[in-house]
Amino acid sequence: MAAEKATALVLRTTDYSESSRIATLWTRELGKVRVLAKGGRRLRSTFESALDLLTVASIVLLRKSSGSLDLLVEARVVERFPRLTRDLKALYAAYYVAELLGDWTQENDPHPKLFDEALDALRTFGSPEVPTAARLLRFETVLLRELGYAPQTERCAVCRQTIPQASEQAFSAAAGGFVCPKCRNGRRGLVTVSRSAWQALRLLEGAEAEDAWKRIEPAEQKELRGLFNHYISYLLGRRPRTMLYLGE
Amino acid sequence: MGREAVGAVARLMTALGKLPGIGPKTAERLTHYLIAARPEEVLELAEAVRAIKVEIHPCRQCFNPTEGDLCHICSDPRRDATVICVVEQPKDLMALERATSYRGLYHVLGGRLAPLESLGPEQLTVDQLLRRVQEGGVKEVIMATNPNLEGDGTALYVSSLLAPLGVKVTRLARGLPSGSVLEFANSQMLSDALEGRQTF
Ligand SMILES: [Zn+2]
Ligand SMILES: [Zn+2]
Repeated sequence: MAAEKATALVLRTTDYSESSRIATLWTRELGKVRVLAKGGRRLRSTFESALDLLTVASIVLLRKSSGSLDLLVEARVVERFPRLTRDLKALYAAYYVAELLGDWTQENDPHPKLFDEALDALRTFGSPEVPTAARLLRFETVLLRELGYAPQTERCAVCRQTIPQASEQAFSAAAGGFVCPKCRNGRRGLVTVSRSAWQALRLLEGAEAEDAWKRIEPAEQKELRGLFNHYISYLLGRRPRTMLYLGE
Repeated sequence: MGREAVGAVARLMTALGKLPGIGPKTAERLTHYLIAARPEEVLELAEAVRAIKVEIHPCRQCFNPTEGDLCHICSDPRRDATVICVVEQPKDLMALERATSYRGLYHVLGGRLAPLESLGPEQLTVDQLLRRVQEGGVKEVIMATNPNLEGDGTALYVSSLLAPLGVKVTRLARGLPSGSVLEFANSQMLSDALEGRQTF
């Protein structure tokens, strides 16, 4: 059993017994881990505040052999996101981030870039500078890229030809991106989006400048929300539980 | 002991072992205690356990478990009906009753808003709370949900629905450690949190 240090975001906790809890943590160093925290339910326990949902904690854990839970031996609060308790939209976006990270990433498969992106998103949700809806779309774009599902935008996801400019573009979740007019024929499950939403998606991917996505208009945010709901539900094989709280 | 007795003993031990905080050892000890105890004592316990499910149901107004139509708090004319303290669970209500000198009424939500656990607003008694406030006479609603993210989120959600009704909404002061639960707070902390409540 080796002791390891990590920075962790708390994604979920469930009571295991009167005095211990099981926590699902998304760590920068180790990816997702499931740990047993003994004495975690009592108020004075050192774990109590550090294991609150969506808290960033500095942890020490004892890694067990495969098949059994790691043991949490230390957890200290590093950061909380107070805006989440003042802005419902921000809170719902944060729950959705937690669900995607918890259900979509594998245990012991670290993605430091995605970790940093998630923390930055949680910090920004509810801030007056960036609309929460746009910040969430940006997080999802990075998540899709990190997990290998970045949607094809410039070239047809089927034939790889450059997609011609048009007032509307067609997206195929099964193909993993936009498809050209030729490949649309006979293809089922297509979702149509406006040219401006298609361009907004390219901004989210950082095709122009790193923070050009902050300028996406509400109409495009709404259209892309619908597109991502469709694509992510398709990839997960179900609708995320927290998705219905995101609105349009 | 006959075979039936063994069966009953085993059944009791299994049942006791399902209670929170009671492991197999304690379940065995309690079982042997009950076997040796006076019949009146044991039957009184059995009756009390039975009554909890048969005679107890949520108060028509505040959803606190009660035997009557209205609970002893709602039916007490000395309580201040202009203030409603909103809690997640009956055990939170009991903690506040024990620890503080609060004289208003309560509303038990029956849980928390936890979208990650598929616990939505439809599982809570929010509509009934809104109706109580709409009926008039309520001046202040105190949000006394747990001081953790889901508790704070529940308070935020409920207060967003109360806001248009023009009632004053307050939240327990943040003396309680973040990420904790009310039930484990001590009396002084709870009194201070209630005394120092702030407008939401
Ligand atoms: Zn094509
Ligand atoms: Zn009552």
